[in-house]
Amino acid sequence: MIDESGSIELPPESLADLLDFDAWGEILATYGRTMRVAVALTDVEGRLLGKCHNAQPVWNLLHDAAPGRGTGCPFCITTHVPCTAVLEAFQAGGVVMVRDLAGLIHVAVPLFLGKLHLGAIIAGQVFDRYPEPLPLRRVANEVGVSAQQLWDVARKQRPVSRAVLQTSGDLLCALGQAFLQQRYGLILESRLAETNGRFRLLVEGVRDYALFIVDPTGCVTSWNSGAERMLGYVEAEIVGRNFSCIFTPEDIQNRVPEKQLHKALQAGRLEDEGWRVRQNRRQFWAHVNITTLMEGTGPFRGFAIIMQDVTERRKIAIVLEEARQERARLQENFLSHVSHELCTPLTAIYFFTTNVLDGLLGDLTPEQREHLASALDNVKQLKDMVSDLLDITRVETHKITVEPQHASPVKLVADAFSTCRTNATAKNISLRSDVAPGLPFVWADPARVRQILTNLIDNAIKFTPESGTITVEGRLMAEDGFLCLSVSDAGCGISPENREIVFDRLAQVKSGAEVSRSGLGLGLFISKELVSRHGGRIWVESQLGHGSTFYFTLPVFSLAKLCAHVFTAPNLEGGSVTLIAVDVIAVEGAVQEDILPELRRVLDGCINPDQDVLLPSMSDAEPAETFFIVACTGLSGFEAIASRIGRELRTFDNDSKLKPEISSTMLLVEPHKPRDEQIAEVAARIERLVQAHLLGKENLK
Amino acid sequence: MSEKKILIIDDDQHLLLGLTARLKANGYAVVCATDAVSAVAVARKEVPDLVILDLGLPAGDGFLVLERLRGLTDLVATPVIVLSARDPADNEKRAMDAGAVAFFQKPPDNHEFLTAVRQALGETIALSTFLKT
Repeated sequence: MIDESGSIELPPESLADLLDFDAWGEILATYGRTMRVAVALTDVEGRLLGKCHNAQPVWNLLHDAAPGRGTGCPFCITTHVPCTAVLEAFQAGGVVMVRDLAGLIHVAVPLFLGKLHLGAIIAGQVFDRYPEPLPLRRVANEVGVSAQQLWDVARKQRPVSRAVLQTSGDLLCALGQAFLQQRYGLILESRLAETNGRFRLLVEGVRDYALFIVDPTGCVTSWNSGAERMLGYVEAEIVGRNFSCIFTPEDIQNRVPEKQLHKALQAGRLEDEGWRVRQNRRQFWAHVNITTLMEGTGPFRGFAIIMQDVTERRKIAIVLEEARQERARLQENFLSHVSHELCTPLTAIYFFTTNVLDGLLGDLTPEQREHLASALDNVKQLKDMVSDLLDITRVETHKITVEPQHASPVKLVADAFSTCRTNATAKNISLRSDVAPGLPFVWADPARVRQILTNLIDNAIKFTPESGTITVEGRLMAEDGFLCLSVSDAGCGISPENREIVFDRLAQVKSGAEVSRSGLGLGLFISKELVSRHGGRIWVESQLGHGSTFYFTLPVFSLAKLCAHVFTAPNLEGGSVTLIAVDVIAVEGAVQEDILPELRRVLDGCINPDQDVLLPSMSDAEPAETFFIVACTGLSGFEAIASRIGRELRTFDNDSKLKPEISSTMLLVEPHKPRDEQIAEVAARIERLVQAHLLGKENLK
Repeated sequence: MSEKKILIIDDDQHLLLGLTARLKANGYAVVCATDAVSAVAVARKEVPDLVILDLGLPAGDGFLVLERLRGLTDLVATPVIVLSARDPADNEKRAMDAGAVAFFQKPPDNHEFLTAVRQALGETIALSTFLKT
């Protein structure tokens, strides 16, 4: 417990314990007797702790004659200058020999632990030689005894020479430090035992948790009463056994216990929930925490495992989840019933209105036409609300689907503009697109993105005054792999508190009187869901009176990601990847657009999904009758795919009016590069080849 | 050439009235049925060129009607357009798989719907029109 800086972590009472003079007494007395010196323990300032051992008769005499004299040092019997031996010893870091004015000498031995000064041992004789008459008379005078008396006592002293005293000091230093260390060890041990005992009480006292320790191989080394209660084994029968006995047979077969310890060792800890087995074979659902046991940087000792029986909690969670699903199902049924029931009369109104409006029942006056046109507008609004309602139920029952494909942001925005143009024109609002043509394609469902953009743009139209401008911008995000689209208006803006809730279900921000109707308030909620299904996020920035900008992000298309599941080590072992281009051409005329999805399904059936990927439509222009396949296969594999495509297409189109033109390019995979780099490079080359192929075809036309 | 005959199967009288007017105005003959049982009987008797089918019908589901129509020798190649208030997410694929040529959710856009009707009527053998001539 002495750290690198040398400071010691011990409470004051333990420090005092280190210099307990009773404990030191025996060793000092023995030392004094053996070495024929007087010896005593002092504090850091040289004040005597306890008594002086093997005190010399002279000292006894002087002490009796004048108790409490001097500065506390038993050897400094001339009192003119305080004895500084102990302080000097600490400064020197070792034994110091001092001589006082009377020519008397003694040694001081410092005691320290690390950098901490604890005290000192002082040793010596009152006279280091036979007393000389002059100093003797001076001392006697000073203390107040007769010179004769002092002489009689001093004469009987056996003198210790300077050299012997010096050696004796060195010896005392070594002895003192050794004894101090030993005492320190004893104190630590007793403290540890105390803590261990307290820890043991604590561990035993925890009865709702199983607490046990396993060694690095998984063998149980300690087991508390909670563990006994929860798992049924008593300590004596489980200690020494592998803890895998509390796992289910399937887990044991799948080596789950080993894997868990391995993971815990790597991460330092592991949290898990799963089935565990009691001694009576009954299973329970456990919440488990595994922590590795390390002592500082010391050796790894095993794992502490804390386990809680959460079977009841899990049951409740399951019941709650079932109830939630049931509620969602009922709600879905209800909403789909409502929307179904709304659709039926709506359809009748629609047919009657359009029949009359289109003059099927005779001519109309301009005023009649205007009124009916308004009625039709309202029918369309109602229809949109019903479809929003249906979307909501799909969100709640997780049925809303997103089918991402390779899509051009420029085209997505243009599509949305064509849907919103009527509404914009009615208010003389101009729609401005600021989406650079050079932006990368996104991985998104075009129909869903149109829904999101239409929602945002329609909202913007609602809040923008007549003759205003709405701008849609596109830019790459700083965060990797996302593109951000934004819709800005110059409307009334949204207050900070409303900014928090606009994306909530049924949120409708109360605002200016110019907004006559705001729909069901589901648009932004649905948009948020759709964006998050794409893996993106949506947010709004706004200033009251200065308009709002809604932002959302979509993932950038990544061929490497799309092909990640086939770009595996075994598939790339062949050292090559083949790009196959299938141009389906019609013998006469052009390929009809409606058949393209069918063709895609046919081609999808011709590949091996473990090795090959049929790329999504990679062309921004339509119709895209060119299909691309990335195949992790050599020449023979390519031939197999090509002949399969020929055969399947003939079966599909028995008139043989469609003909595939199949070409391939083989790309070599650099063998010595890291795999991530390899894949990124191959993906980039494939994309370049695809674009070159499409461009070539365009030029041909 | 005589008028093409369209059978509308729907239990909503208003819809029948409105849609019939629209189809007649476009030069088609229209017959109607209002439940699943009579629908098959009417189809067998009238042998229409096209069937417009609702899914929620009294006395049986629209899918059942579709299946029965497919089982009639006279009607095996007759195109069926499904026009339903039901959620396309759950029903469109199922209808197409069962042999419908198109699925419209109510209310349909008149223009789109009539285009589909015309296409369906010109298209009795599925693959012959894949090529624009």
